[in-house]
Amino acid sequence: MPFASKSPWVIHYDASSCNGCDIEVLAALCPGYDVERFGIINTGNPKHADIFLVTGSVNERNIKVVQEIYNQMVEPKVVIACGVCACSGGIFHDCYNVIGGVDQAIPVDVYAPGCAVRPEAIIDAVVQGIGILDEKSKALAAKKKGA
Amino acid sequence: MGFLLLFPLAVAAVLAVVRNSAFRRVVVYAGAIVIAVASIAFVAMHIGTYGEYYDFESEIVNIVCTIVDFLIGFIVAFLAWRYKKWMALTLACVQIALTAVFVAGGWEAMYPVAQSLYVDSLSVLMAAIIGVVGTGIGVYALGYMDDHHSAHPAIKDRRPRFFALFFVFLSAMFLIVFSNNMVWLFTGWEVTTVCSFLLIGYDQNQISVTNAFRQIVMNMLGGIAFCCALIYCGVAMKTFDYSEFISAGMVDPLLVVVPLVCLSFAGITKAAQMPFHTWLLGAMVAPTPTSALLHSSTMVKAGVFILLKMAPLYTVNFVPSVMLVLIGGITFCLCSFLAISQSNAKRVLAYSTIANLGLIVACAGVGTPEAVWAGMFLILFHAVAKSLLFMCVGTAEHHIGSRDIESMDGLFQTMPRLARYMMLGIMVMFIAPFGMLIAKWGTLVSFLDAPTPHVVLILLLAFGSGATFLFWAKWLGKLSGIAGNPDDVETTVHSSEWIGTGLMVALSILCCIAMPAISDFVVRPYIEGVWGEFLTVLSSDNLWISSICSIFVVCVLFGALGRPSKKKHVGIYLSGISADNDAHVFRNSMSGTTTASARNWYMESLFGEQAIDPVGTVVCIGIIVGAFIVGILSSQGIFIPGIPGLM
Amino acid sequence: MNSIISNPIFLVVIGTIGFAICAPVIGCLLAGLERKISARMQGRVGPSILQPYYDVRKLIEKDDVSVNGADGIYVSCALIFAFLAGGIFYSGQNLLLCVFVITLSVLFFIIAAYSTRSPYAEIGAHRETMQVMAYEPAVLLMAVGFYQATGTFNVGGVFFMNGPIVVPLIGVFIALAFVLTIKLRKSPFDLSYSHHGHQEIVKGITTEMSGKTLAQVEIMHWCETVLFLGWVGMFFVWGGPVFLLVGLACALVIWFLEIWIDNNFARVKWQSMLRWSWIVALVAGGINIAVLAFI
Repeated sequence: MPFASKSPWVIHYDASSCNGCDIEVLAALCPGYDVERFGIINTGNPKHADIFLVTGSVNERNIKVVQEIYNQMVEPKVVIACGVCACSGGIFHDCYNVIGGVDQAIPVDVYAPGCAVRPEAIIDAVVQGIGILDEKSKALAAKKKGA
Repeated sequence: MGFLLLFPLAVAAVLAVVRNSAFRRVVVYAGAIVIAVASIAFVAMHIGTYGEYYDFESEIVNIVCTIVDFLIGFIVAFLAWRYKKWMALTLACVQIALTAVFVAGGWEAMYPVAQSLYVDSLSVLMAAIIGVVGTGIGVYALGYMDDHHSAHPAIKDRRPRFFALFFVFLSAMFLIVFSNNMVWLFTGWEVTTVCSFLLIGYDQNQISVTNAFRQIVMNMLGGIAFCCALIYCGVAMKTFDYSEFISAGMVDPLLVVVPLVCLSFAGITKAAQMPFHTWLLGAMVAPTPTSALLHSSTMVKAGVFILLKMAPLYTVNFVPSVMLVLIGGITFCLCSFLAISQSNAKRVLAYSTIANLGLIVACAGVGTPEAVWAGMFLILFHAVAKSLLFMCVGTAEHHIGSRDIESMDGLFQTMPRLARYMMLGIMVMFIAPFGMLIAKWGTLVSFLDAPTPHVVLILLLAFGSGATFLFWAKWLGKLSGIAGNPDDVETTVHSSEWIGTGLMVALSILCCIAMPAISDFVVRPYIEGVWGEFLTVLSSDNLWISSICSIFVVCVLFGALGRPSKKKHVGIYLSGISADNDAHVFRNSMSGTTTASARNWYMESLFGEQAIDPVGTVVCIGIIVGAFIVGILSSQGIFIPGIPGLM
Repeated sequence: MNSIISNPIFLVVIGTIGFAICAPVIGCLLAGLERKISARMQGRVGPSILQPYYDVRKLIEKDDVSVNGADGIYVSCALIFAFLAGGIFYSGQNLLLCVFVITLSVLFFIIAAYSTRSPYAEIGAHRETMQVMAYEPAVLLMAVGFYQATGTFNVGGVFFMNGPIVVPLIGVFIALAFVLTIKLRKSPFDLSYSHHGHQEIVKGITTEMSGKTLAQVEIMHWCETVLFLGWVGMFFVWGGPVFLLVGLACALVIWFLEIWIDNNFARVKWQSMLRWSWIVALVAGGINIAVLAFI
């Protein structure tokens, strides 16, 4: 039985958000929503995190950062694009230095649109992400057994 | 025994005239092996001895000793005059004058010592340390001195003298641990002083000359005190028999209070206790084998040896006991603090030596059987671990070009074997289950078990131990770093250096594992021989647990670590902006690159030399002056302080 | 047979095995309860009591990665010595040996962080070393005081007392309680790594640890909690096994107090931590020991 779904630790990175989504992400992590009920903890460290919450679009400057954080996360891991900018580039999509949504840099598992994204939407996305996390965890366990 | 005393002198004589370095190598190797084997055989023959005294009396030796005493005085006086060190010159003259007084008194002929030589388990232990650790350092020095001269071409090659002095040193140490005749003991004492003086000044540049004279001034003070004690013995006690001196003191404490204070003072100077610790720090300018020799098997150990030897006297003699307990305790605590602020590896080692000697001095001052048990273990483990560490630092210095601890970052990869050796040495020095900490444990127990517990000492020990953890752990941490794939620079280490360090590693491991056996067969007989009874300080079960844990840690250190790991390799976390992760380089906000690096904490403002040194110096000088005044008063029956052990 | 059973080494072995089995279970439940209580203090519902267990199981399921291949070995050693320290304590053996072995365990943990050479982990390791220096005097004085009060270093000695040793050792107990906050990694002294969300040095000493290595760190922390609460409980036990319940109750009260402190104080700078823990150890512990020595 995979335990990944019971303790999804998240890391939050602001790619180039206007901060609207960041405030909502942090709001979702505040005592009011009490996401620790579901075992969710906000870690500042990719090596401890299972779920990567990215806000804002990816640009030339930060694409490597997004990729590096993603690479330093330990399998199984899930990426959630929070807010419309992270999903597609949003209103910044045609800025001179913007590449686009987070999926231009790393594989995204769940898209949570909104401008700004609502805490409820984030929680919903995380719950979906947990399902994917479980599947990935099972796949990893099978691979380990096979190896 | 005679062999151990005389053979090193013969080797020294040969080495003094040998100019050819290949031949010197052979002589040193052969001499070292013979001495080591002889001392091991000697230990094997006398293991478990309760003390044997030999009827040996020699007018010739007496005369030789007197001549040597004078000679030493004149050598120092001459060198002091040549380098215009007036303080040293004055002290040398005082010493010559006192020696002359002593000879003029003719006491030596009046009160001959029938049994001039002896062996007990303490001298067996010391002989093993001198014979094995000392010669191991000698072998190490062969390779080291080659590198030393190629690294510093300006220094004149005086290696024949260096190695000759080295072996004279060993001989003098054997004389100290085997003579029951205090006059001979004094000669050995002075020979070690002057040998270390010459070894420290080996490079003969400004800084080494200054430090050599600092050493000689401080140790001459001790020598003068020793000489005064001898004259007092001649005048008042009418004996130079060391064991008689001690037993007379047990019967009538007030009779020996003055010579005992003098001898304790001599021991303190030699063991580099505050305020005399500066000579040992200054001695760091010498080539590293000299430091290793001074710190581990010789010189400073001579100081604590005579103090431990007189331990029973301190249980009945309040003044010198308090002096030793306070000075030892304060030195331990403050020097542990001072070691925190140092980044020079040799200075850290020096402060740690002084601190540990402080503990041994305090053990002697407490003077109970348990305290002596702890003191003997401290001597043993300190000797092997400290010589190992000095050798490692010396070798590392020649290969990474620095003796700064910060430069040893990542030594685990650049010099894998040496780093493991050094890590083992450090662990033996400060952490359970290894010897030094077990000995410290015994120290704590003995302080508690003393007739009245030494509260001040316990507090000094507790806080000093906290500091000890910090300065060793941060060094150990620096060594353990693994990152990237730097080149292995270890391949050019001389084989003689590997022999020296390897020997110490083997000894450290062996001593830690065999600790219960050493306690039973070496330390216990000494205690029983002196006190007639033995109290268990630490139960043998606890010693065995430590021993098993030691084996485990050694296996991890040399076995498991550094094996190729099956785990996937990932880079370290650099906030997602690494430019070259292995080199810790990240992209800064100006799109340039910056290297992330972390230095250890040194906390200069809290534990710096400026803050702590003067306090220790002033307090300890005050204690010594007070001890002399009260000691002299009490010997006259004017003022006799309260019962011993109140501290 | 009897001689084997009463052999201290045998007892330590049995104690260590028992501790290695029981302490993680108890420690895990305590950790879960602690998160629940903390949540209630903040007006939240909080996670399930088994949450720490889920966390560790998840960490074990994660992929095996390491920055250098050595940190996992060091952490395993730290865990083994934590088991041993607990075994020594709960089998009633030498308290000082227990203190030394747990220090060895911490040392391995520190070296694990140092060996990664990661800037954040290294700062965490520096701070952890500083923490050890801050609490070591108080812990040593605890052992000294224990010996003065009971006449033995063996923890089992408390059963032969006529009253709880906290009475003669109140100063020593205060010193221990003060540094307990450091040892349990609670705010305001959670300098090297914190259980709370964000810290200025990422995750401090554990920054580079992940997966199974981090799981071992968590288990070690549970064991340490059980061991340290045992130290606290020891002060309140006397007479016979019945009074173990008193010790347990008192240990839990102190533990609750620690959670309360954790939730109500902000992290301090290392200078304050060092200064205050040493002052408390010196004044409370020192005076206590001096008084016991001279009475």
